[in-house]
Amino acid sequence: MRLYEFEGKELFAKFRIPIPKSRIAGSVDEVFSHVQEWGIPVALKSQVLTGGRGKAGGIKLAEGANEARTVASDLFNLTIKGFPVERLLIEPKLDIKQEFYIGVTIDRAKYKLVIIASGEGGVDIEKTAEENPEKIIRKEIGIDEELYGFEAMGIAKKIGIPSDLLKTGGAIIVKLYNLFKKYDAKLVEINPLVLTSDGKLIAADARVSLDDDAVFRHADLKEMGIEARHEEGEMTEREKQAQEWGIPYLDLGGNIGMFPGGAGFGIMGNDFIHYYGGEPANFMDSGGGPSPERIAKMLVLLDENPNVKVIFGARFGGISRCDDFAKGVIMFLREHGLSKPLVMRMTGNVWQEGVRLFEEAKAESPELFEHIETHGIETPIEQISMRAVELAKQAEGGN
Amino acid sequence: MAILVTKDSKVMVQGITGGAGKFHTERMIGYGTNVIGGVTPGKGGQTVAERPVFDTVEECVLATGADVSVIFLPARFVKEAAIEAIRAGIKFLVVIPEHIPIHDMLWVRKEAVAHGATVIGGNTAGVITPGEANLGIMPDIAFTPGRVGTVSRSGSITYYVADTLTQSGYGETTCVGLGGDPVLGSTFAEILMEFEEDEATKAVVMCGEIGGVYEEIATDVIPKMTTPVLAMIGGVFAPEGKRMGHAGAIVEGKMGTAKEKLAMLADAGAHPCKTFKAIPETLAKLGV
Repeated sequence: MRLYEFEGKELFAKFRIPIPKSRIAGSVDEVFSHVQEWGIPVALKSQVLTGGRGKAGGIKLAEGANEARTVASDLFNLTIKGFPVERLLIEPKLDIKQEFYIGVTIDRAKYKLVIIASGEGGVDIEKTAEENPEKIIRKEIGIDEELYGFEAMGIAKKIGIPSDLLKTGGAIIVKLYNLFKKYDAKLVEINPLVLTSDGKLIAADARVSLDDDAVFRHADLKEMGIEARHEEGEMTEREKQAQEWGIPYLDLGGNIGMFPGGAGFGIMGNDFIHYYGGEPANFMDSGGGPSPERIAKMLVLLDENPNVKVIFGARFGGISRCDDFAKGVIMFLREHGLSKPLVMRMTGNVWQEGVRLFEEAKAESPELFEHIETHGIETPIEQISMRAVELAKQAEGGN
Repeated sequence: MAILVTKDSKVMVQGITGGAGKFHTERMIGYGTNVIGGVTPGKGGQTVAERPVFDTVEECVLATGADVSVIFLPARFVKEAAIEAIRAGIKFLVVIPEHIPIHDMLWVRKEAVAHGATVIGGNTAGVITPGEANLGIMPDIAFTPGRVGTVSRSGSITYYVADTLTQSGYGETTCVGLGGDPVLGSTFAEILMEFEEDEATKAVVMCGEIGGVYEEIATDVIPKMTTPVLAMIGGVFAPEGKRMGHAGAIVEGKMGTAKEKLAMLADAGAHPCKTFKAIPETLAKLGV
């Protein structure tokens, strides 16, 4: 879960990491009145949950309130990588002498936390790491280890923080590290950490990404107004609907509705469809052990999607049992009805019961199963994929 | 032979009295797995599937000699439960639940390394040595004893691969679900080396997906192996920057795209396979 810059800075303030004074504004008038009150040159910074906003023109300077009004009205019209600018952070324009980079993240291959620092902040740190790796300081620390002040000062010294500010710089690094651990972060960055002309170190930006799966133990975030959120840009209506139902779903643009089991075949099944000359309409993941209701909702999403010409179902029951799967499909057929062909394969845990449920329902109302082809373990999934592609082509040809 | 678990493993279940714990304990026993008991704090003295339930792992280990544990608990309790098991002497731990906090897994990994234990998962379907023991939630129908090992990030892919090996007559030595969470208890590299040391395993199929780093670091060990490695990576056509289900399957900038992973693995000497049916074809070419 990525935080807005202003939220990240609230966390910084909590840990006494120095930040500029600031105001948040949701309208041009608010910007005008804040800047007029301050009476100094300011930076207006778009608050969006994506990187590269500087390059996209999302950060602008203004000398006074009138200029701020004009600049703000431009910024409020911006959309950066799919994110509309709804709020601006107003800060005094900093008099920058030097910029540093400080970050903490996780090296998943080594199972270590990593502190990354550089004397060249304010730029694309990944680019620096690639082109001038010698300009990057990297220190690995175990999750059970403390970062001592002397170690942090050592890092500060290596990136060129002046001697009289080493203690302050070291303390900022320790605080950032402690914040990372306290809040179950995946990434925290100060880029840039600014050394001002009057000799102060100040965090000019804040990037904080927290682990969604650990937010439950940080109730204070909610008190600060930081709610769990979706990280992607603009969502389609169907993606929003799926999110409301708690189903991971993406619209993709093809015509084969993907109705898989877990994410694993959800991802690879899409590749199969491509290999056999088709285009998936979506990505979807049932999650582990979906209820019949959830299975039925997955089908509703696909049946109501006009781009979908055929639905490709695959269920290899593990923790997701075939009986629950069959119940979900039958529930969908009875309550909603199927308007396009469905070709599917079902096997795995409790498959016999799944087959029995289908046969029972079919005997009762054969018309519901008119457009359905069901297969079991005897038919390879590749063959089902090819059949789905074939049916999709027929459907398009028929239009 | 096999890796990690055999018919002689003494298996306990943490969370044995819960819905999923109970259901899958019965299934595991039905498969022939040597399940000797389980733990649910506060429910010591009860029985599940005629197996004793203990309050603590320590008691369970003392009473039964358990050396393997399968965890069926909500994600937030996994850190405590796993460390409890490791400190009580459990050497092999299978973590079924998904969405375990990343920092928790770092603690679990540290503890496992310090005590010489192996942790699989989280978000794994489990580990199965066909004909001997089934740990977790994998459907029996896909598996049969044989000579190829598998290791996969995803449960469903494990089932499809095993089913393919079963249908084509190769069968499996052991199938390992590495797990779909972003930080995992074990890496592809570590499991591949386990297979390398197993004489019965004549080839290994590894299945990864977009996102994460574990496929990349497998390239450190593949060149050292004499056992051939076949590689499948899901997500070749995945849209960039989109999150696709598994918490781990996020394309992180330039890192972790399926195409790059496949290319790196092929460079390291692995044999890429696009579809499941390419697996027996490749094995036949290799003379396995």
